[in-house]
Amino acid sequence: MTGKFFRYTTVLAAAVMFASCSDKDYQVPQPKTELQNDAIKRSIGPNMAGLRMEFAYAMAIPAGKGKIVSAQVEASIAGAPATFLEHRSFYTNGSGADIGVVVGDPSENKGNTTSVTFTKDTMAATLRYYYVPADEARGKEVSFKFTARASNGETVSYDLGPYKIANMEMKLDIALADNGAKYISIADMAAYNQADAALHADKIDLVYLHRSIPNITFGHALVAPAADPQYLPGITLPAGVNRDAKLMKTWNLRDQQLARLSQGVFIDDVDFQKLTFGDVADYTLNLAKEYGVWVETADGKYRAYIFINAANSNKTAVISIKRYTMK
Amino acid sequence: MKKYISAVFIIMLPAMIWMGCSKDKPVDEDGLLITTRKECAVTSFEMLGTDHLVVHGKTAVIDTTAQTINVTVRFGTDLKKIWPKFGLSQDCKLDPKITTWVDFSDLGTQKTWTVISGDRQVRKTYKVFVTVEQ
Repeated sequence: MTGKFFRYTTVLAAAVMFASCSDKDYQVPQPKTELQNDAIKRSIGPNMAGLRMEFAYAMAIPAGKGKIVSAQVEASIAGAPATFLEHRSFYTNGSGADIGVVVGDPSENKGNTTSVTFTKDTMAATLRYYYVPADEARGKEVSFKFTARASNGETVSYDLGPYKIANMEMKLDIALADNGAKYISIADMAAYNQADAALHADKIDLVYLHRSIPNITFGHALVAPAADPQYLPGITLPAGVNRDAKLMKTWNLRDQQLARLSQGVFIDDVDFQKLTFGDVADYTLNLAKEYGVWVETADGKYRAYIFINAANSNKTAVISIKRYTMK
Repeated sequence: MKKYISAVFIIMLPAMIWMGCSKDKPVDEDGLLITTRKECAVTSFEMLGTDHLVVHGKTAVIDTTAQTINVTVRFGTDLKKIWPKFGLSQDCKLDPKITTWVDFSDLGTQKTWTVISGDRQVRKTYKVFVTVEQ
């Protein structure tokens, strides 16, 4: 038994040693000698109508083979007019700054296609592509075909996508003031003063106010017009402003697109869809910078997330909103 | 080789029989270890809002003799959606368990929770009195 065991083990060990000592000749990879390309999506987070999606498109051809004459991107859904392909190729300098070098004419949008014609003798370039989804793209998927052409007639393409364009909408930096624009409409994603609120009475969902009351902590607050008047001290609502809303306060939910802080946290359509309000209050007090409030309008048409960008001691605040249409 | 196998068998067999017959540690219906501890008290209490922050400025007052907890929440606290957080004596457990938001908005009716000691023999029911800053 022992003898057999040692014999097999020796054979196995020898086989392992032989295999490990066998020579493997390293082959230096041969560079391709034709026009090549590559593309990546640089922006992260949910894609939204009106919000830039950023891509980087790289292309290169060996110097002796010719030069790049054009680059283009074809989107499956035409972008908004703000869509463009950079006519500068960027490199990063020693200080970490991106430096643009003009390689062609500014891009042109024709239908679904955005193109740049090169005017400089260029064998390699990386162009940034900024696609701004149009309103028609909301809730749909969009794909991209990047194409480069060389002077020797070669053409290469690179496909990216599909990418979902979210249904939600966003409005940044709405200024609020206790003595000014304090009536917030989720439908309009805007804040109105006393006079304008009367004109939009059926759309006012929240009132912003700031109070300093002895013995209690009130501070910055968002309150539905229909809430108990004790949460609206000193407020005389314009005629017809009487809607209710469900409100739920959060802390530390710093959506990167609303807060513009590098938290890597994003609120997306699915968060609004799965949100459970239950029986919650129609007021939130003691708000401060970086607090957030989930809102559902009285008619259930909209759900929104309001992020407090700033809450100032002079009774003003700045908010940003993501809104999702439920029905 | 045969000797070796026999030796292993002779040692392992009684060990396995002994381990198989040893008494399990006692656990309750929740799978929690039942110990010999008789301490049965609430040691700390907090109420958290939907933002997961404490909704009261001052620490809750716990009376372990009267078995009451008194807490004053900030004005404007949404009492319909509160997550109570209990600290208990070692090995104790709470009944009912807190698995979701609790509605404290009916200030006239106190919520109650029962603390059960580590040996599961002592039960003490605490009433939570909530008042709002005015």
